[in-house]
Amino acid sequence: MLLQLNNIFKWVNSGGQRIFLLKDINLEVEEGEFISIMGPSGSGKSTLLNVIGMLDAFDEGEYNFLDESVHDLKEKHRANLYKEYIGFVFQSYHLLDELTVQENLEMPLIYKKFKGSERKAMVADMLDRFSIVGKKDLFPAQLSGGQQQLVGIARALISNPKLILADEPTGNLNSKQGEEIMELFKQLNEEGVTIIQVTHSEKNAEYGSRIINLLDGRMV
Amino acid sequence: MIKNYFKIAWRNLIKNRVYSFINISGLSLGLACAMLIILYVKDEVSYDRFHEDGEHIYRIVSQNYNESGVPEGKNSSTGFLQGPRFTEDIPEIKEYVRIQSGREDVKIGGEVVSRDLHYVDPNFFSMFTFPVISGNPKTCLSEPFSVVISEELALRQFGTTNAVGKTMMFRNNGEFVPYTVTAVSQKSPQNSSIKFDMLLPLEIPKEDLANNFNWFNFFLNTFVSLKPGANVDVVNDKMQDLYLAQSSDAAKIIKEQYGDDGLPPKYFLQPFTDMHLNKELPAQNGLTDASNPTFSYILSGIALFILLIACINFVNLTVARSVRRSQEIGIRKVVGGKRRQLVFQFLGESFMLCFFAFAMAILLVQLALPIFNGLANKQLSISFVLDAKLALGYITLFVITGLLAGFYPALILSRYSPVDTLYSRFILSGKNYLQKSLVVLQFTLASLLIICTFVIYEQFNFLTTQELGYDDTDLVLLQKNRLTPDELDTFKGRLASYGNILDVAGKNGGGWSTIAKVEGDKQVQFAYETVNQSYIPILGIQLKAGRNFSDEHPSDATQSVLVNEAFVKEAGWSDAVGQTVDFWYNGEKYTVIGVVKDYHYDSLGQTIRPQLFTMKPTNELGMLYIKIAPRSATSAIADIEKVFKEMFPFDPYSYHFLEDQNYQSYEAEAKWKQIMLFSAILTIFISCIGLFGLSVLSAEKRTREIGIRKVLGASINNVVAILSKDFIKLVLVALLISIPVAWTIANKWLENYPYRIQLGWQVFAIASILVILIALSTISFQSIRAAVANPSDSLKTQ
Repeated sequence: MLLQLNNIFKWVNSGGQRIFLLKDINLEVEEGEFISIMGPSGSGKSTLLNVIGMLDAFDEGEYNFLDESVHDLKEKHRANLYKEYIGFVFQSYHLLDELTVQENLEMPLIYKKFKGSERKAMVADMLDRFSIVGKKDLFPAQLSGGQQQLVGIARALISNPKLILADEPTGNLNSKQGEEIMELFKQLNEEGVTIIQVTHSEKNAEYGSRIINLLDGRMV
Repeated sequence: MIKNYFKIAWRNLIKNRVYSFINISGLSLGLACAMLIILYVKDEVSYDRFHEDGEHIYRIVSQNYNESGVPEGKNSSTGFLQGPRFTEDIPEIKEYVRIQSGREDVKIGGEVVSRDLHYVDPNFFSMFTFPVISGNPKTCLSEPFSVVISEELALRQFGTTNAVGKTMMFRNNGEFVPYTVTAVSQKSPQNSSIKFDMLLPLEIPKEDLANNFNWFNFFLNTFVSLKPGANVDVVNDKMQDLYLAQSSDAAKIIKEQYGDDGLPPKYFLQPFTDMHLNKELPAQNGLTDASNPTFSYILSGIALFILLIACINFVNLTVARSVRRSQEIGIRKVVGGKRRQLVFQFLGESFMLCFFAFAMAILLVQLALPIFNGLANKQLSISFVLDAKLALGYITLFVITGLLAGFYPALILSRYSPVDTLYSRFILSGKNYLQKSLVVLQFTLASLLIICTFVIYEQFNFLTTQELGYDDTDLVLLQKNRLTPDELDTFKGRLASYGNILDVAGKNGGGWSTIAKVEGDKQVQFAYETVNQSYIPILGIQLKAGRNFSDEHPSDATQSVLVNEAFVKEAGWSDAVGQTVDFWYNGEKYTVIGVVKDYHYDSLGQTIRPQLFTMKPTNELGMLYIKIAPRSATSAIADIEKVFKEMFPFDPYSYHFLEDQNYQSYEAEAKWKQIMLFSAILTIFISCIGLFGLSVLSAEKRTREIGIRKVLGASINNVVAILSKDFIKLVLVALLISIPVAWTIANKWLENYPYRIQLGWQVFAIASILVILIALSTISFQSIRAAVANPSDSLKTQ
């Protein structure tokens, strides 16, 4: 088992009232699954994704990731855990505008202290795999949305994560670009990468092996 | 990793040109100021440290006491005796060198000019390290009629530094006699208290050296060098014992004659390197460049102000801009960046900006150095590449600035949580007290300097335009040593034939001062002026009572004096005319025939002290006062020169205008005026570019708000007011703080002047309005741009 959420609650206090963002979430994810989280706006999809990604804390419940009890870990250890095993893909790509494609891909490797020669090899490999070798010296602003998201996914994959978390990865793309990205996810999943995506689109959700529906922070 | 940081830093720099420009230009101005001041301070503390044996060299000085034993001033001068007598009997003293300043007429080229020179003991070059280009430093001063000249003078006089054996003509008892050049020395270093062009051997008659009365003459500097390991305190005690033993007989006689009740002075040694910045025992009497450490402190303070303000810009702009960069921080954290790594990245960026600023500062220093040298009276040059200490100082400055400016923003930025920034939930805390207080601090400092500048300008204006009590216009001053009354009359007679010369008067050269008794036993100390009868009228000095000296009373020269009002007041006379002034020590008595209205014969930096005028024929006149017709300066000067050179072919001719000379006596104030003006302009400029940057960022942050307001009907004026209000509030707070501080400082400074302006509210009002206007125009530039922008654009981007 990759991860397990038991009775997860998350809330904020507003005007003396407790507003629940997540209510009693129970979820088990096996390695190699492709899960789609669906639900209307404000239902807690992104919050759930961030809790799984350890970017956000929760208030109650237990979270085990690869036999580590995330709820017992200190901030620093939690950060180390997600940096090692999880790759993120965002709706608005979140590439660094000042860096070229190649440099954007290289950045996670720099932080993980890979040697220069290793970095070069890994980046070249990834460029090759995504067929964007010709774009390596361009800046994000010079790419189309689909191409940018491609780079975003490549960056998430480059340090070999066990899990990819994608928050509406096709939200800013047209349907054709979206389809290509989803095909890519499917292919990655077949290669063994576990994927959890948040999506509004039924059609995209179908790519996954399991769909989780959220409403007002609760799984339905 | 480093390479990656630099790449990002560089691209950010290029992309945000305005921001980079503000930061780099502000910082480089701040750094340039700091570098100049380091250069200045380093020069100040390096004075006289180049002598090889410097740590063993001391100057003999003394502490005076009044009759009740209270310390009363220190004396940096000594006479003939202290050097040889102390050296003879105190084994710890290795040798002594006396340096006496002088001024002699010398023929340079064909001209007779009057030149400053020094008389020194023959071992001058063995105690002090002044490299000699040619000649033997050991023997060059042992023979009479020898002269050692600087390479500069050698080049000017002989066209070569190889001048040993050549002769120069010096006036000696009225005759020009040849002196032989025995050595040529290198130019004295810039940081030397001893600077010389010509050295002559100091010759003292044997009988003077035997005369114990000479313990009581103080007119030269005596330096001694101690043997290694000698204890200064022990030497001090031995000197005092010797002095008391050898001078007691003479002291007794002097006491009987003059009734001087002071206790004997206490002799001690002052370290050679302590002279330059010592206010009580300055480098004077032929030594040069005496400096006031206050100057160093104030300059350092101002430089620190400016650097601080530039660093504040950096911190404020970086933090304010962090909203924009928050996303980058989030991404970096999500893909694996640790906080420490981010801190380093941002610090790296600060250092990069700092580096550019540093490079630009070096250029600025190069450009500003001539102006600065003029202001600071120095010949500094930026040769720090060769000077390890200075380079180290600059590197320290660079590192401190980089840390100061970069560390806080780095800590703030690296703290952001990735979820907040990536989902645009991120808002920089609305209050932002730090940014506000830093802006207040900047403008407090800037307003402070602006107000001080206004005060200095006003006081300077007051000093230079104040009624002096006499008329200094169209007055030419001409120096002529040992002028006899007959010569004066002849000179006046010859000039009278030229229409543009109105009158000629004579006065003693320099400022004399002496004491006399009035009303029986009361002693008055006063300025003692020897003049001729035309002096009072030529200066337009008014008579309060009695009459001026007159040819109709031939006895005036030997029996009569004039005094000023301050003298009358000091003497306590109700009716001064007819009173007696008793010069008891030479047995002369004079009758007061007139009282002149007080006039500012010194600069306005001094209160008017008692003054007495005499025509005593045995006193030498040294200065000619020539009143010329208005607007005839050029022709009058030519005429005067012609007559002067005919009459006194062997005297140096140099003239100046009294008006200019009076103006020059405020040189120090004029310098302060300029320094304050420069620093005020710099601080307000740097503060304003910082404010500009903040207003740009604030307008950017509020684009949406402005769009909404405009859609709902706000006018451009409304929007400009909204955007400017917050900043103007800060400037007002800054003014509220700086006004009382400036008031205190200005009053303290003005207390130095007996004649000063009254600090009115106007200065503060004008300065405040100026600061507000400058700030307002800075902000409104950006506010207006934001206000006229089309709201549909700004709303669409959200």
